[in-house]
Amino acid sequence: MFSKDTRILVVDDMRTMRIVIKKTLASLQFTNIVEADDGTTAWSELEKAMANQTQFHLIVSDWTMPKMTGLDLLKKVRTHAKLTNLPFLMVTAEADAAQVKEAIAAGVSGYITKPFSADTLKEKLAAMHERITKAG
Amino acid sequence: MTTAPKLDANFIKTFAAAALETLRVQCSFEARVGKPFIKGQGEEVESAIAGIIGLTSNVFKGTIAIAFPEKTFLAIMGGMLGESFEVMTPDLEDGAAELMNIVFGCAKKSLSEKGFTVERAVPTVVKGKNVEIRHISTAPILIIPFESPAGGLQIEIVLE
Repeated sequence: MFSKDTRILVVDDMRTMRIVIKKTLASLQFTNIVEADDGTTAWSELEKAMANQTQFHLIVSDWTMPKMTGLDLLKKVRTHAKLTNLPFLMVTAEADAAQVKEAIAAGVSGYITKPFSADTLKEKLAAMHERITKAG
Repeated sequence: MTTAPKLDANFIKTFAAAALETLRVQCSFEARVGKPFIKGQGEEVESAIAGIIGLTSNVFKGTIAIAFPEKTFLAIMGGMLGESFEVMTPDLEDGAAELMNIVFGCAKKSLSEKGFTVERAVPTVVKGKNVEIRHISTAPILIIPFESPAGGLQIEIVLE
């Protein structure tokens, strides 16, 4: 499992969902969390973190957002040399097969569908961490 | 008397199940579905806030909304965010849109399995005293009422 001091970027345009994810992560003992309300503000946070040498270790992002979607953010992250291996968990209300395929093709590390419980998020994070660790 | 088309009967079942699932898993909130009716032919809740989404598909277009009286909404947000709320604040309002989002996502999967390709617009929120939801169509409005210990809520569906 990710260590408790993992620096996490939570991205969602809905404030209430950011709170839900933050509180759920906090219940799993993760407290080093930064919020962004869209893919564009998330990208600014990532650039700021790289400039300050305070890199994020995990992104938890919604898919459907107005300015830059979670998928576009994922694609941008995967094409940046310093961020290409950054674990990326996609959170979405829609989980049809085509969408999942698209996210996998873009290099998503994990996928969680709303509604979700704290236990589901914990399982997804653990499975994602195991896959990433095995892949080396 | 106006009767609901067959398509709407599928929608009632699908969206009712999606709403119950969303409320139970995301908000730790148990509710029961009541008997659906056409607007004007049954008792509705006095809504203080609603999340609305425009829908388009291969066979129809329309709108769907989830509407809450303040007391019910605060109880649901309390369950979703893990704290108790006494009054409505602007910080809670997008919760109505997010719940509509999740209900739609849940329902979309079942509808896809039934052969309906449904896409949606960005959800919006309306609020006010006994808020009236403006649907894009003049077709009959289907109401799916829900009951809970914290009060009622309802889903409104219009398809054409």
